[in-house]
Amino acid sequence: MATIMFGFGYGEGFPDHSIASVEPVGENRILIRTSAADVGQGIQTVAVQIASEVLKLDPEYFEIVEGDTHTTQNAGSSSATRQTYFTGQAVKEAAEDLLGNIYHHASQEFTTNHPEMAIKDGRIFSHVNSEDEMTIWELRDRLADRGIELKGRGTFFPRTYKPDPETGQSERVYVGYSYHTQVVEVVVDTVTGQVTVEKAYSAIDAGKAINPAGVEGQVEGGTAQGLGMALMEEQVIEKGRTLNPDMSRYLVPTALDVPEVETVIVENEDTDGPFGAKGIGEPAMIATAPAIINAIYDAIGVRFYRLPVTPEKIKAALEQN
Amino acid sequence: MEITFTINNEKRSLEVSPHQRLLDIIRKDLGLTAAKEGCGKGECGACTVLFNGEPVASCLVLAPQADGAEILTVEGLISREGELHPLQQAFLDTGAVQCGFCIPGSIMTGYRLLQDNPEPKREEVRQALAGNICRCTGYQKIVDAVQLAASRMQSGGDSSWAQDL
Repeated sequence: MATIMFGFGYGEGFPDHSIASVEPVGENRILIRTSAADVGQGIQTVAVQIASEVLKLDPEYFEIVEGDTHTTQNAGSSSATRQTYFTGQAVKEAAEDLLGNIYHHASQEFTTNHPEMAIKDGRIFSHVNSEDEMTIWELRDRLADRGIELKGRGTFFPRTYKPDPETGQSERVYVGYSYHTQVVEVVVDTVTGQVTVEKAYSAIDAGKAINPAGVEGQVEGGTAQGLGMALMEEQVIEKGRTLNPDMSRYLVPTALDVPEVETVIVENEDTDGPFGAKGIGEPAMIATAPAIINAIYDAIGVRFYRLPVTPEKIKAALEQN
Repeated sequence: MEITFTINNEKRSLEVSPHQRLLDIIRKDLGLTAAKEGCGKGECGACTVLFNGEPVASCLVLAPQADGAEILTVEGLISREGELHPLQQAFLDTGAVQCGFCIPGSIMTGYRLLQDNPEPKREEVRQALAGNICRCTGYQKIVDAVQLAASRMQSGGDSSWAQDL
């Protein structure tokens, strides 16, 4: 078993931020603009889910312009476990800005007050006068006739604090902290030195899981990467040259090496991220290697301090004892 | 030299040079970009296609070897009406796709497995997929996807795909 605590985002006083915009386009589409790169972690899905939740509109209505520097503003890198937190919150604020603008302009169209209006499925309507109803896109067209653009913009720019150079302490070094505990069952073959990870249990603090299937996917993938780090992956460099630059000599876990992972999502909702969400990308893999190494210790009573723990190392350690 | 082969039920003739690879003609000459070049050494499985019904690493097959062959890629799994194959749909529904790079190869391997073994156990799916390396999903949802497709195909309604191919 191993438990880790992880500060996500760049932190340490770095001016980290994300900018997004949300606007009605075409006949019945909503366009989200963000330069956040989706490398498979699912930030696009998360962005759509968040905007969909704020605007009370089905995800099917949404489109994304992603990573186009001509039409999007900075969202920072897809690294440091930061996109759901930063871009998720920027998209949430952009969607809220759009929603606020919709309410503002529609209340003038309906000559009514905010509390007497509502929005659902792209329709804006008045509780007072049932004839007062229009779609978001009709409102956009009416405003365009008067030279007004209907759009929402959001910038999420949380403050972080430089750590004291002597103590390493500060108000808040990182924007938020995730926790991950992993339990693994391993079998060590004392004849061959082979370690098999038979099962993994993961409890991850996601703050709020915007996309629970995506969180599971990240945890399962992280477990595979952590397993590789613990047991197989070793780049051999000699005089600056990598001696094993291929997958038959640098071993990456296959479907037969990776166990079934049972994921438990813990939702603390204790950050300034969207709906309390935290980043979980990197924490998903960090606990795996120490959990495996601890399990090997539990099985054969040998502590390993250098990764990966290959069958050769296990054999050598067993022979020494 | 000119070679003639069938790809995704379509007969094609191409002028190829002896050193070209099957993967090159599929991606560059025919523009079918589902199969990916990962390692280029037959070790990762990203370029897997069915070659006369068997999964092969298309980066290891020379183009002239494809003369007279029948080839199936992910593009060929889509029905004539443009519907996704149940296996493709299952990959989407289970969230088995993250970065997606290995997925076309994994789908072709899964497709071949289900022909032989329409109700595979999880271990059997893992065994079949052992040559398709995935760096980001941890395989669990890929196994889920193959099993979901298997159960949907078993429960009927999808026999049209079998006839199409």
